[in-house]
Amino acid sequence: MKYCIIGASAAGLACAESIRQADKSGEITVFTKESSLPYSRPSISYYLKGAVGSTEMLLHPAAYYRAKGITILTDTAVTAIDREHKVLRAGRKSYPYDKLCLCTGSKPFVPPVKNAAGKANALTFLEIATVKKIKAKAGKNTRAVVIGAGLIGMKAAEGLSKICKSVDVVELAEFILPSILDKSAAKLVKAHVEASSNIRFHLGNTVAEAKSKGTHITGVRLGSGEELPCDLLVLAVGVRPETSLAEAAGLAVERGIVTDAATMQTDDSDIYAAGDCALSLDMLDSQKKIIALWGNAVKQGKTAGFHMAGAPQQAGGAYAVNAIDFFGCRICTCGLIHADAAPYTSKVQQAGGSYKKLVFCGEHLVGFVLVGASDNAGIYTSLIENQVDITTLQGDLMDTPHIFLFEKAVRQQRLKGEESA
Amino acid sequence: MKRVYAKEELCLNCRLCEVYCKTAHSHSKDIVTAYKKEEPAPSARLRVSGDNHLSVAINCRHCENPKCVEACITGAMTKDKATGIVYVNESKCIGCMSCLAVCPFGCIQTGSFAVKCDLCRETGEPACVKNCPNRALVYTALGGEQE
Repeated sequence: MKYCIIGASAAGLACAESIRQADKSGEITVFTKESSLPYSRPSISYYLKGAVGSTEMLLHPAAYYRAKGITILTDTAVTAIDREHKVLRAGRKSYPYDKLCLCTGSKPFVPPVKNAAGKANALTFLEIATVKKIKAKAGKNTRAVVIGAGLIGMKAAEGLSKICKSVDVVELAEFILPSILDKSAAKLVKAHVEASSNIRFHLGNTVAEAKSKGTHITGVRLGSGEELPCDLLVLAVGVRPETSLAEAAGLAVERGIVTDAATMQTDDSDIYAAGDCALSLDMLDSQKKIIALWGNAVKQGKTAGFHMAGAPQQAGGAYAVNAIDFFGCRICTCGLIHADAAPYTSKVQQAGGSYKKLVFCGEHLVGFVLVGASDNAGIYTSLIENQVDITTLQGDLMDTPHIFLFEKAVRQQRLKGEESA
Repeated sequence: MKRVYAKEELCLNCRLCEVYCKTAHSHSKDIVTAYKKEEPAPSARLRVSGDNHLSVAINCRHCENPKCVEACITGAMTKDKATGIVYVNESKCIGCMSCLAVCPFGCIQTGSFAVKCDLCRETGEPACVKNCPNRALVYTALGGEQE
């Protein structure tokens, strides 16, 4: 059996490992257009600020893949999928497959900024190779401008702030981190970031135009008219699913590659898709969406891998859960956080620098936002994932969650390591 | 595998398990030094939940399919194939706490790296169990049914 996997990040690696777990002898080949062995993509901002080196970022050393019999082909961009002959093309080379998984991830969405395209100091923030370029250009006199205050933009800004003179973050939305925070929590985090760093925000604003000298950007003009000096422009507005190979091969693609949530199979029974490039079915609101998060990619990669190897395992439901910190301000969010209208209700607790919001649908917890209050957050996540009837719980759910929320029989189960009663 | 099982019926909320856990995970292995002098301060890897009325020690279940390992974005959280122990490679951990966000039992604590029970894998004898004066913690492969 020949297994091919396109993409060597969270989903691709989990897929390869799961195939190997179920099939000891099949040939497994993982293609990546990047030059590095699988690495921790979310760590690129930590690499930028110097907290980790590029070797520590590798998920496993080369020997690990040799021992598992997983071939990782770096610098190998798959250019086409020939479904009729079940062959992948990478430049002039061909690779036959019996089962294929697309784990092509995300591509940066580059906002249209007049005069920025192709400039040497305008870079995206998604791959280690470009982050190395950013790091080489950044120094103590660098005035950086980051477009986007989402997860990627904010992490880029944090990394840059440690090594640059100033960082200006320009964001179209009225508040930062709109995908994981509500407005009140965002205000709190913004204040913390401003107090802890040289980062300044320009919210409800855009970068309209770049000023340049030759191939170098020297400044930017904002939508508001304000002009900022700029030695380094980081384009981090967001990402889009990388679906071009799937589309060219004629697979069903909506906002992402369409799969069966239980198997991650596409409309071609020999082709699977997992991770940021694939549509997920959110178990909390039954909406099809892109859940571009590491943990979700790993789960989907595993589901795909086990099915490809003919050893299907029950797939858990998909939902978003995220933990991140900015300058020591810890944020943990899960599930539906912008669900403010009926049938949803919410409870908010704010004290000092901390913020807690729990979102409910009837008797079930369906989401939370925790800022500076993440202790035992996984217990909340467990209530959400297992759709626990919260009327069976004892004590105040707004307190730090703990084992005595559960009645004795459930506690005994949980102390043994059994999650759902 | 052998795990540490906690019994709320026998727990007195004395928190000696925390004291000995912190000491066992300190540099000096000396209680006073661990608590008063060490920098960075060591942390207990388990926590007693509850009060003097009802309490129990919470520590890692070393799950069969650990959600923390699945959620780990750096490869720092690993389940040792041979021993089953789930532990953190501290030099790879960036302290993002994605593991904490998904641990259903609340066994992971915040630090510069994820702080959790490693079953004292270096000595092979969990310090919490050894030093629990009232046998509220047992180290067994029998699912905690038997002492």
